[in-house]
Amino acid sequence: MEIPIVLQPILVLLATAGIMPIIAALARAAKAEKARDVVAIAAFAASMYSLVQLYQKIMADGAQRYVFATFGPDRGGVEIYADMYGVYFGMIFCGIGLMVAIYSFRYMEVDTGLDRYYALLLILVAGLIGVAFSGDFFNLFVFWEMMCISSYTLVTFRKYRWEPVEAGFKYLVMSTLGSLLALYGMSMLYGMAGNLNFAALRTFMVAEGAKANPFMLYFIMGTIIAGFGVTAAMVPLHTWLPDAHPAAPSSISAMLSGVVIKAGIYSMSRGLFAIFNPSVFDYGTVLMIFGVVTITVANIMALMQRDVKRLLAYSSIVNIGYILTGLGIGGYALVHYSAAAPEAAMSVAIFAIGGALFHTFNHAIGKGLLFLCSGCFVHEAGTRDIAELEGIGKKMIFSGTSFTIGLLALAGIPPLSGFWSKLFIILAGFSIPDDGFLKLISIIMVVNSVFAASYYLWLLQRIMLKTPKSTIERVREAPFTMVLPVVLLAIACVVVGVFPGPIIRVATEATKVLLGGW
Amino acid sequence: MIELWQIYVTGAAALAIVGVYCVASRRNMIRTVIGIEIITAAINLNFIAFGSRTGQVDSLAQSIVFTSIVIGASIAAVALSIVINAYRHYGTLDLRKLSRLRW
Repeated sequence: MEIPIVLQPILVLLATAGIMPIIAALARAAKAEKARDVVAIAAFAASMYSLVQLYQKIMADGAQRYVFATFGPDRGGVEIYADMYGVYFGMIFCGIGLMVAIYSFRYMEVDTGLDRYYALLLILVAGLIGVAFSGDFFNLFVFWEMMCISSYTLVTFRKYRWEPVEAGFKYLVMSTLGSLLALYGMSMLYGMAGNLNFAALRTFMVAEGAKANPFMLYFIMGTIIAGFGVTAAMVPLHTWLPDAHPAAPSSISAMLSGVVIKAGIYSMSRGLFAIFNPSVFDYGTVLMIFGVVTITVANIMALMQRDVKRLLAYSSIVNIGYILTGLGIGGYALVHYSAAAPEAAMSVAIFAIGGALFHTFNHAIGKGLLFLCSGCFVHEAGTRDIAELEGIGKKMIFSGTSFTIGLLALAGIPPLSGFWSKLFIILAGFSIPDDGFLKLISIIMVVNSVFAASYYLWLLQRIMLKTPKSTIERVREAPFTMVLPVVLLAIACVVVGVFPGPIIRVATEATKVLLGGW
Repeated sequence: MIELWQIYVTGAAALAIVGVYCVASRRNMIRTVIGIEIITAAINLNFIAFGSRTGQVDSLAQSIVFTSIVIGASIAAVALSIVINAYRHYGTLDLRKLSRLRW
């Protein structure tokens, strides 16, 4: 039997996770413990390969689907559905997973129980890709919880220290409450439409949406925003993130910050834009306001941090704010201007949401890079305090240079990747000249960008330019397999910055799929 | 005329509020976990109530509730294992003592 192409990326990862204990036992017997790491890396590479194949097939033939079982005629069922939007996120998830697996080869070698670590990492990425490939809320919820449970256990992986345990419990309680809130919204949606399939729900909303109780519809939208917003770390639901990210091993911090919070963005945008017509329901304004509040609050909090990973965690929240604002501007333009000028409103929306998706990619590689770099520093110097790490970049030339590129990319310095996406989101905000509210939002974003650039440069100056302290006098460059993913991600930041064209095209295609038909 | 499923939906909402209150007000970590489980139960009840609205059993509601019960159990298992580790570090189950992390 041939395995359908949409299942391949997920099944490869899950199957490898399932046989990981056997592989680890065999490897231990053969006195080649590192074999399990190589198998995990190979599984990620295979999954990435099949994702690329799937991407080409979707480009050629349109969305791919595989239905396991249906709940009766015309009801839809347990459906794996991959379109451009899903595969775009899936490739980001799997790419960062691959980098993290290569990094873990040496970074995690001091820990025990690594067969479980790799199994959980594989399940985490399988869950993430599954979330991106869900055709209905049922599937989305199952893959979502798969991802959440493995990330709770990975955050608390070093359970012999108090910090991960405390942060992990906080993360577990907040994130579970968030997913349960979203599930409550799903049950309400089910009660209304009798279905959970995205396509069927969309048909239902077009046909019956006007007749349904508007209070109930906005309640459902609220549960989707707030429920997935916990994982996306939207202010005021962000408080788990600055604790969980520093407490986790650096490889997992990169995973959480690079992709897990993006899964929240993905589910939120899919749940809203795929079902509720953005030119009828005004959720864009809500997303936009939450977005700018997120940016502002997290920027102020980031200034007060002394711990390098904590500062980077707050900077992740800032960037989630940009993505939310981009999505919000798209929705706002559609709901307010599609009656007067449908074409223009749609092009603004595609510009804004495309910018948000592009920023998702840029932040995934940029923040993945920064967390892996800080992992290199922490691994070699044994501290996370910025004051202790001063000047370490001079000692670790490859990690230091990559750290510089990552910081400049996220600060939005022109030839690097982060510049373009921020520019798109801000330009989209200014593209409707006589809308004062939108202009205000964009001005807040510009002020915050400058503000954020200042503390990125401050961090850069302390890590790279200060004279190293005597405590880190003996620090050497990290091992090759730790430096390799860092350098690859840094090169990606530069290349995407200089040639943004291909990624922008894919992001625009994905946006058109998301907004298709409205 | 109030139908039976409406009573169940109202009951589920009340149960969810009980669960949220339990998570928000209790200081014992195990009670927090129990609160989460109560909310899960409330949502499952909601699904079942909506699924029986037509007088027939809807297979979608049944299957999502089965899956949700399994997921709830795994979350409880992970949560309780974290609670055990927290007890080893702190010697208490009081959430107020777990405040070494800054904001």
